[in-house]
Amino acid sequence: MRVSTPHMGHVYIPFKAIFKRLGVEFIMPPINTQRTLSLGARYSPEGLCIPFKMTLGNLIEAADMGANTLLIPGGDGICRLGYYGKVQEQVLHNLGYDTEVIQIGVSEQKFRSLMSIIRKVSGDAPWYRIISAIRFGLSKLASVDRVERVVQKVRPVELVKGTANQLYSHAISAIDKADDYDTLKRVEVDYINQLERVPRDKQVQPLIVGITGEFYVLLEPFSSFDIEQELGRMGVEVRRSTFVSEWTKFSFFLNPFGINEKKRIHRAARPYLKRDIGGDGWESVGEKVLHAEEYDGIVHLAPFTCMPEIIAQNIMLSTREKIPVLTVLCDEQIAKAGVLTRLEAFVDLLIRKRRAHSGRAQGAAA
Amino acid sequence: MTTIGIPRALLYYQYYPMWKTFFEHLGVEVVTSEPTSRNTLAKGSTRVVADTCLPVKVFVGHVLSLVDKCDYIFIPAIRSLKSRTYNCAKFLGLPDMTRAVVPESPPILEIEIDVNRGKRYLYQSIYGLGRHFNWNPLRVREAATAAMEAFISYRGLMSESRLTPLQAIDDITGIPRREPVEPSIAPTTPSATIAVIGHAYLLYDEHVNYELIHRLEQYGARVLTPEMLTEHEREAAVARLVGRAYWTYEEDVVGAGGHYLQNEVDGVIGIMAFGCGPDSLMMEILRREAGNQQTTAFMCITLEEHTSETGVITRLEAFLDMIHRRKRRRVALCV
Ligand code: SF4
Ligand code: SF4
Repeated sequence: MRVSTPHMGHVYIPFKAIFKRLGVEFIMPPINTQRTLSLGARYSPEGLCIPFKMTLGNLIEAADMGANTLLIPGGDGICRLGYYGKVQEQVLHNLGYDTEVIQIGVSEQKFRSLMSIIRKVSGDAPWYRIISAIRFGLSKLASVDRVERVVQKVRPVELVKGTANQLYSHAISAIDKADDYDTLKRVEVDYINQLERVPRDKQVQPLIVGITGEFYVLLEPFSSFDIEQELGRMGVEVRRSTFVSEWTKFSFFLNPFGINEKKRIHRAARPYLKRDIGGDGWESVGEKVLHAEEYDGIVHLAPFTCMPEIIAQNIMLSTREKIPVLTVLCDEQIAKAGVLTRLEAFVDLLIRKRRAHSGRAQGAAA
Repeated sequence: MTTIGIPRALLYYQYYPMWKTFFEHLGVEVVTSEPTSRNTLAKGSTRVVADTCLPVKVFVGHVLSLVDKCDYIFIPAIRSLKSRTYNCAKFLGLPDMTRAVVPESPPILEIEIDVNRGKRYLYQSIYGLGRHFNWNPLRVREAATAAMEAFISYRGLMSESRLTPLQAIDDITGIPRREPVEPSIAPTTPSATIAVIGHAYLLYDEHVNYELIHRLEQYGARVLTPEMLTEHEREAAVARLVGRAYWTYEEDVVGAGGHYLQNEVDGVIGIMAFGCGPDSLMMEILRREAGNQQTTAFMCITLEEHTSETGVITRLEAFLDMIHRRKRRRVALCV
């Protein structure tokens, strides 16, 4: 069996690790590029959101490379995502690929469904091996996240631009290669230390921008114009509360820290939006409210035609919290250059706002 | 007397008789907005971000037109009506979004319908809504029972007498039925039977779809719609095409479309709003099904705020032409 799965950020790392430990051949589709997106968009029905197009592109490329079992996320009550599989499977079959499509229910049976699917794919390996493989995969994911958090801090203040990014990509490939817990731990500690030692500009107090919005575009930098890197380059520190380790977003127990954080976000959203509306609209509203004091601004990432984020955007425009929000639509029709121009203007606005603010604060102190 | 406003948009077409009965049993007067006009849409769309779908813009317009005409506005949040089905985010966020974009609105009464959370939750939600007008749970229950009966007879009226929601609502509210349309535009062409499927709020809002159904009738076509099928027929088609229904209104789209593609009609027209999440996927299922079958013609019309009327008409005419040609060819083959 040759298994593959679409990309979403670094989610391939745990999958690779899990299947390697279980002796299953894992085919990693090429990392996301313009080609993936054009391919996916070409075979997507009109009006679909970018996660559909990108993941379809991955699946086609994987099938081209000989994958015959495709794992795609699915499940109940998670917006269009829960329905992706039905259509993607048909598209693949019509293109003549004879692949089996297995939907991973990311919402309903939580972890259990993932485990039994992996068991099935591995040809009924014993449970203890499956559990230990999954544990190892998830540890890798957690390492990636921890390194990423440090990178987000270093990017805006590093003296030599690009150092953090470079270390980050080395770290990712080292984590990917690590074959046991010891190596993994060592690699992680090593790179975090190196990142901490990167020469920084101690004078600057970087602007802080929260990144919120739809799950996939938050976690797949290619789909959202590498916005975090770009902000880092502009000297902005990025904060994001959604990390890949929640990739089974509803399996919160993987990330106990995540539960409380999500609860806090939902509570903050309640005065403006009472309920989960599918997707991540509830979180977007909540993060605006929750972090209004803490952050200088918020970048709201929304796939074009994304229903939950359109609702969120409509609501966010009228909440009392006055923090500036820039909504960035993600789609293959939207050019990166234009997005960057808007981003720069937004950052300028935040800088001016902060100056005016500190000016006032000093005035008050005197 | 207290008045409650029901916007004539979105779920109005499916549930108006039910809601009206419920509120009237609790001694509340029900007012609705006027049918959609250019003004409704124009006003609605100034309040929301441009990417909001057409039906929601229309909805906001209707709410705006009710603002000073009632004491409350009723906006339900319908998540699911059957176990393990889910609705478009816009329905779930509708009450809160409306509060955000129409701050001058009278208090918005909402009810969340989610059968996944069990009967108890449903009863509590209904009581929670009725309590605003009558705190006596028995009275609320009576009203709910009457409402349910009204709903069942409304659906029955549509599937048995083959009426559209507009005709059925007219019947129920005692408005004399409009004369059936005389074919007027091209009486020479042989008549065809066309199914029009999609969300009720696109099919029956004559302003947004440029009187599509009326126009088809003028061309001499017999028009069938999702409501004219029984629940069983629609469910069977969903099961055949996608297995289990995922979306709350999947039966109106995949169900009705799938059924008509195999039965009774010469062509199926799907109507969807630009950027509509559920329909972008469901119409694709139908398009592929029609492609596989090769027997019944299928076309999907996408509506948005700036869709041009002539564009729609041209496509409609081309579609009918094609059907007539096909029919003639078939007749020719038989002789
Ligand atoms: S949340 Fe948005 S991007 Fe995700 S499936 Fe729904 S519409 Fe698509
Ligand atoms: S189902 Fe489609 S048309 Fe209806 S509200 Fe949602 S996106 Fe808009």
